[in-house]
Amino acid sequence: MNPVVGVAAFAAVSLATAVIGFYGLRISRTTGDFYVASRTVKPWWNASAIGGEYLSAASFLGVAGLILLSGTDALWYPVGYTAGYLMLLLFVAAPLRRSGAYTIPDFTEARLDSRAVRRVTSLVVVLVGWLYIVPQLHGAALAIRITTGLPAWVGPVAVVGVVCFTVVAGGMRSITFVQAFQYWLKLTALAVPIVFMLLALGGGDSAAAELPPPSTANPTALAPAGPYQIISLLVALLFGTLGLPHVLVRFYTNPDGQSARRTTLIVLGLLSVFYLFPTAYGMLGRAFAPDLARSGQADALVLLLPGRMIGGVAGDLLTALVVAGAFGAFLSTTSGLVVSLAGVISQDVFGGSVRGFRLAAVVSAMVPLGIASMTESQALAGSVGLVFAFTASTICPVLLLGIWWRGLTDAGAIAGMVTGGVLCGSAMVAGSVLGAAQTPSWLAQPAAWTVPAAFAVTILVSRATRGRVPRTMTRLMTRLHTPERPLATER
Amino acid sequence: MTRVRVTAPRSVTSGSVTPGSAASGSAALTGGRSAAASQEAAEESDAGQLFVRSLIRSQLRLGLVVALGFLLIMLAFPLVLGLVPGLAHSTIAGLPFDWVLLGAGIYPVIGLSAWLYVRTAARNEARYRDLAGDK
Repeated sequence: MNPVVGVAAFAAVSLATAVIGFYGLRISRTTGDFYVASRTVKPWWNASAIGGEYLSAASFLGVAGLILLSGTDALWYPVGYTAGYLMLLLFVAAPLRRSGAYTIPDFTEARLDSRAVRRVTSLVVVLVGWLYIVPQLHGAALAIRITTGLPAWVGPVAVVGVVCFTVVAGGMRSITFVQAFQYWLKLTALAVPIVFMLLALGGGDSAAAELPPPSTANPTALAPAGPYQIISLLVALLFGTLGLPHVLVRFYTNPDGQSARRTTLIVLGLLSVFYLFPTAYGMLGRAFAPDLARSGQADALVLLLPGRMIGGVAGDLLTALVVAGAFGAFLSTTSGLVVSLAGVISQDVFGGSVRGFRLAAVVSAMVPLGIASMTESQALAGSVGLVFAFTASTICPVLLLGIWWRGLTDAGAIAGMVTGGVLCGSAMVAGSVLGAAQTPSWLAQPAAWTVPAAFAVTILVSRATRGRVPRTMTRLMTRLHTPERPLATER
Repeated sequence: MTRVRVTAPRSVTSGSVTPGSAASGSAALTGGRSAAASQEAAEESDAGQLFVRSLIRSQLRLGLVVALGFLLIMLAFPLVLGLVPGLAHSTIAGLPFDWVLLGAGIYPVIGLSAWLYVRTAARNEARYRDLAGDK
């Protein structure tokens, strides 16, 4: 592959990101702008931005790679990623927006009237964010190595550099525009090459005639996933989405609860359309690039397939587009996470000032860079799936019970988060120590037992400490669930 | 440690700010909702709480029903594929049926569930407004 293609694509995306960041710099003036764009973002913009932020390296590269590896079993990943948003819409979107809080720790502190809960939640949120950034940086390392031949560390360093610059320069206001742009970039980057590849296939080439059905062309000897693995994965993805810090912070930029719901509805449409394309790549990959699965490069499928199926200059151009989309994915998810982590860290450690926010942004990007450079890349969709399991076992129970159950107490919340975090964290550590081949499925996909355990502990401890239900609970529950004044909904 | 909480004003509610309404709360969340302090007082009365509780219950029931319905449909997909022999390997427009069903067929179900939920949730809130006498 022509190395110039990769470098040019990355430079173009970075430049576009920085330009939009600068454009935002001129309109963000107040501290409120830096945090949540003063809640004035329209549903369409906001939905595109949520989609742009949510579609990470796992969605852009990992889903197609996993489909190449394990066929229809991997189709549950995009389904779960999308259905997670349905759960978010059903149980979280409007109440969380009405809570008026900026971050998850803000919400738990207000709901339970407890600083201790705030600290534990902050810790969990920062941990989740860091765990989630690491696979993005692994994806960047992979993309740089495959497409340019440069050393792998260049990718993560470049991504972190661009993200720090954008966030420090513009805060959330410009981030919203950057993210919205990046959703459409990612969609285009996957859709256009697919169209050309299908045209090339249908154009009377002999290749189309000998296309084997994908399910029979299994390039690896992987056993099909059992019902336990699929159910556990779905539990992780369905409940994990609720607690992702970068997803939640987006809802505060909706003007009210009803528009938060409308935004989520649009997001579901955007995600559904997007995930058709990684699925198509995976299918084509099974037929035309099964060797990638055998050589352990399944995650590079999306980057390599257009060049393979369409040679010459056209192939190079399409590859450039796909590489641009991939970097869009790394940049958007990383910057979304960095913004939300910076929001949490700056309020808890640096007193909530703009300068503190900038400092916190740099800290939240540097730590995962260090972790990423010390660890090996695994299957991207799989490692992100584990982060979902962790979120589902820690933040999700507190959030769901906090919104819907009057009996939640601070002691219950802390006990639940600690239980879920320890159980799921140990499963993740044990899994990485044992290696993928040796890990039994109940450790590899822990959500099916860690999530119920966290819920059970939260409820039992809350019941045992029922005297600690905060006095502000009634007012808070009323605020979470009653519609805003009619004035506020008819804009 | 001092913390500066940054709250952006809710641009729309500010049209009708009532004087002396800033008393809305020991809770950390003092958004732009103080305009409705009297409203909040009404909501905290016994009758007000009755309406609020019934609203929360109906929204929770709605969420659970939609979630359960969606999960049942989603779990039915692999069951159908497993139980009807040969179905998974039949083809639609040259594509294997199991891929089409799982890779594309579930998304419309998600979209439909979401749309139904948003519509009904808004209706529940409208009914609450009528009951609570919101003007």
